[in-house]
Amino acid sequence: MRFLPHTERDRSRMLETIGVSGMRDLFADIPADLHIEPGSLDMPDALHEAGIIRKFTQAAEQNRHAGNTRCFLGGGTYHHFVPAVVDYVIGRGEFLTAYTPYQPEISQGTLQALFEFQTMIARLLGMEVCNASMYDAATSVAEAALMARRVTRRERVVLAGSVNPRYRTVTHNYLSRISGSSVDVPCSGFATDVDAVVEAIDGETACVIVQYPDFYGSVYDLASVRAACDAAGALMVVAFSDATAFALIEAPGSLGADICVGSGQALGIPMGYGGPQLGLFACKKKHVRQMPGRVCGMTHDARDRRGFVLTLSTREQHIRREKATSNICSNQGLMCTAAAAYMSLMGDAGLATVARRSAAALSRLVSGLPDHVRAASGPRFNETVLSFADGDSRDHFLAGAEGCDIFAGIPLERIDPKAEACHLLVATTEMIEAEDIADYHAALEAVR
Amino acid sequence: MSIPADLKYTKEHEWVRIEGDIATFGVTDHAQEALGDIVFVELPDIGREVAVGEPFAVVESVKAVSDVYAPAAGEVVEVNDGLEAGPEKVNEDPYGAGWIAKVKLSGDTAELLDAETYATYLEE
Amino acid sequence: MSEHYSGTHGLQHEEPLVFERAHEESVSIHLPGVEGDLPDDLTSFARREAAGIPGLSEPETVRHFVRLSQWNHGIETGFYPLGSCTMKYNPRVNETLARLPGLAQLHPDQPEHTVQGILALLYELQEWLGEIAGLPHVTLQPAAGAQGELTGLMLIRAALAAKGEGYRTKVLVPDSAHGTNPASASLCGMETVELKSGDDGRMDIDVLKAHLDDDVAALMLTNPNTAGMFESDIVEICRLVHEAGGFVYGDGANLNALVGIAKAGDMGIDCLHINVHKTFSTPHGGGGPGGGPVVVNETLAPYLPVPRIEKGDDGYRLLHDDDQSIGPVLGSIGQSGVLLRAAAYIAAFGREHLHKIAEDAVLNANYVLARLKDAYHVPFPGLCKHECLLTDEIQNRHGIKTLDIAKRLIDLGFHPMTVYFPLIVHGAMLIEPTETESKETLDAFCEAMLEIAAASEAGDTEDMHAAPLLPIRSRLDETGAARKPILVWTEEES
Repeated sequence: MRFLPHTERDRSRMLETIGVSGMRDLFADIPADLHIEPGSLDMPDALHEAGIIRKFTQAAEQNRHAGNTRCFLGGGTYHHFVPAVVDYVIGRGEFLTAYTPYQPEISQGTLQALFEFQTMIARLLGMEVCNASMYDAATSVAEAALMARRVTRRERVVLAGSVNPRYRTVTHNYLSRISGSSVDVPCSGFATDVDAVVEAIDGETACVIVQYPDFYGSVYDLASVRAACDAAGALMVVAFSDATAFALIEAPGSLGADICVGSGQALGIPMGYGGPQLGLFACKKKHVRQMPGRVCGMTHDARDRRGFVLTLSTREQHIRREKATSNICSNQGLMCTAAAAYMSLMGDAGLATVARRSAAALSRLVSGLPDHVRAASGPRFNETVLSFADGDSRDHFLAGAEGCDIFAGIPLERIDPKAEACHLLVATTEMIEAEDIADYHAALEAVR
Repeated sequence: MSIPADLKYTKEHEWVRIEGDIATFGVTDHAQEALGDIVFVELPDIGREVAVGEPFAVVESVKAVSDVYAPAAGEVVEVNDGLEAGPEKVNEDPYGAGWIAKVKLSGDTAELLDAETYATYLEE
Repeated sequence: MSEHYSGTHGLQHEEPLVFERAHEESVSIHLPGVEGDLPDDLTSFARREAAGIPGLSEPETVRHFVRLSQWNHGIETGFYPLGSCTMKYNPRVNETLARLPGLAQLHPDQPEHTVQGILALLYELQEWLGEIAGLPHVTLQPAAGAQGELTGLMLIRAALAAKGEGYRTKVLVPDSAHGTNPASASLCGMETVELKSGDDGRMDIDVLKAHLDDDVAALMLTNPNTAGMFESDIVEICRLVHEAGGFVYGDGANLNALVGIAKAGDMGIDCLHINVHKTFSTPHGGGGPGGGPVVVNETLAPYLPVPRIEKGDDGYRLLHDDDQSIGPVLGSIGQSGVLLRAAAYIAAFGREHLHKIAEDAVLNANYVLARLKDAYHVPFPGLCKHECLLTDEIQNRHGIKTLDIAKRLIDLGFHPMTVYFPLIVHGAMLIEPTETESKETLDAFCEAMLEIAAASEAGDTEDMHAAPLLPIRSRLDETGAARKPILVWTEEES
């Protein structure tokens, strides 16, 4: 077996050193009736490397992917460009095959990259501090709700209905086994009903969670939500799906977010059929000791040279156990390094270009729609909802577009089960060219 | 190991100084030494009513966390804000600058040990 | 220094923070897409001040991150015997496979008929994990072991509620358990009761019995436990818990000792999470991503999270709605890219070789134990499983602590073992040499450990207190970092 270095001679010499006569003696502490016959598992025979490559390549070729189609799918995962350098950096064995940096002297690479990541994310989101990742946006939102409950010592969580339904479902799920309540505020017109959100905030409210831009891509004014939170003593949690937005529109921190959570997948991470994703988590510094997850801090070594360590560990499960701020241990560390490399390469200017072109593509798509399709009204970043006369005409269009190598959108009810089956959630990125939009319009015309 | 004679102690290594109806709480020299370098002290809110034996503060080192239990019942009237910027005071001067909170006594106290008894308890 | 150890030498570059390297303006990168100005209706929302993200040229970026990488120690660099972490070789071919465009560039909401290939691979992985554990019903969704624990406890609560026993919320956790166990129980709204381990490092059946009552929902058990010992009474333990009306949750962190040797389901365990980043060799990435699939028996199966992968006559599909399900715990079906690597690892061993993972892992741990047991204190003598536990009791007499031994190992060219865990012994050193390490490497490590023990015995300890001397940084001030946390860079910090 090619991953096992021992020869049979090594094994027998080692058994001799241990003082047992055979391999099975090493398992004598396992009751005999629990032993299974070696090789008796109901599994396929071993494959050599060439066989595995063939198997996976054949499977991959059965799928249609963003590399040879035009992808207008969003809903929390976006097809942005990932420069080759990002993948090279995270493919370096020293980053890829290291564990959590528990021994800082020999983990300064991971630690400095995390510190740079935390700084860049904090700057992009306009927040004071940021942790070293959560699993994904949905669990980041859930953890934000839990953190707000700790900070305010209140138990009621208000979620705007325009927060991605998957984030809401996971959050309700996380909160449903502990005391307190979590409520959804209905929305309308594929946009956030700010007045209704403000109305729902009361003196028992730990936090209100809004998404900005919201699940439907809508961009709106958060000032009245902030004011209502101030009046009620609640925290404002701002969630987001595509972090590149904040190179273009005002960052959540500047709009007064106490906690800001969302997805970092747009920052150099392939869509990967849902994972690994990157959950981002940022907050005000005064609340940092209630923050979940790992965090890297700057310090110095015994010879007074700058260095980095994991810090504020007493919040975490390995020390505080049942009283920890979260149960998270393994996180998405390598994805932080990917995002750091991506952002280093893009800079403010590159990120702004990505965001501007993502928005420009949507403008162009919407402005050229034939009149049998209606786009949601109001300012949108790179995502919107298209509405058809009925489900059949929508599905007819989807099938036609797919025939032209276009994934034209996500049937809204797939993510939001309450939605009528005639809407499409459509997203654009800088990977969409003018020609792709022309083809999209042509596909719509074809089913008029 | 310092154990001032004028203070009372608990078996959980808190000390208490009672002056009139006001009691000052802190952790003992033994406790700070066992915990190592203190990096953070979580202080109670002023106005909070604490019961005997209730955790009212948390003392943290880099890799350990310890609850601090109230040696006597009462209302928290003052906390040592200086520990926010200088938690190391708990290490340097546990019975002085490292005090944690003052409460207005409401009656109950824990079984308190005098210095001699606490010293014997530590030896055991 | 002995010539047998690689030590650390050579060209090491200091490297500033990326912010200190940055140009006044970022270098422009050439991107695709639709040219256009900010759409009119967004102008009032425009960001006023740039974020301050660096923007380096491509060669500068590559050099920056390559230099940082060189300050790291990974499993590709050298031995990494972190106990309970299962640091094994991560096959390179798996990296290639996971990056195939037909697997990596899939949107999670593509129509299912366009993703049949990846669904087939993931479905097959579910079947394999179920077979290996003897618990046939599987969710791939949990993002890591801790999330697997939360998921498993949610399943148990759902099953109890269905029986009208929702009042059972007590979770029994041995004092040797990982901190995630009690933390997950709290997150699931349950109370943890800690069980004191017996003198042999195993579960004390009498202690267990004393805590089994009508409030018990589950026992969370790691087997082999974190002292590296197999819980030989496992069948009896499970029987007792079941008799009391509770479930047995298995923490699969130490599955590496049992792959192809014995099945959790046969032992009576109801539910187990599998850390694919441990047992099935997906890279740890400096802290993640991991993957924590959960495998369960018939009783818990109806409550598994959605979406679920189902196989029908016309192919695979995702089931999004199910009234009995506990619902989703993650925003997607799971860490697909990680899971694919795990599937490739299992495929490479196959039916005829899988048990060799456990055999060589256990052989290696016992070999290290046999070579070190006279020089170091062994708190629980006898055979170990995939990891062995030592303490610093002997070295303590000379003022040498576990931390000193760990740091000295770095200068001798090895990543230290897990230190000060489990908490049930003083000065713990938990050593897990996995199946992908050669005898030569194990011998070199043992020589280094023996050299440290001898130096300690001889009072030659100066190097140890100051260690490590050779890496790019010496011991770091963790106290200062925690007292005045600096978590982001500001220009004043320079």
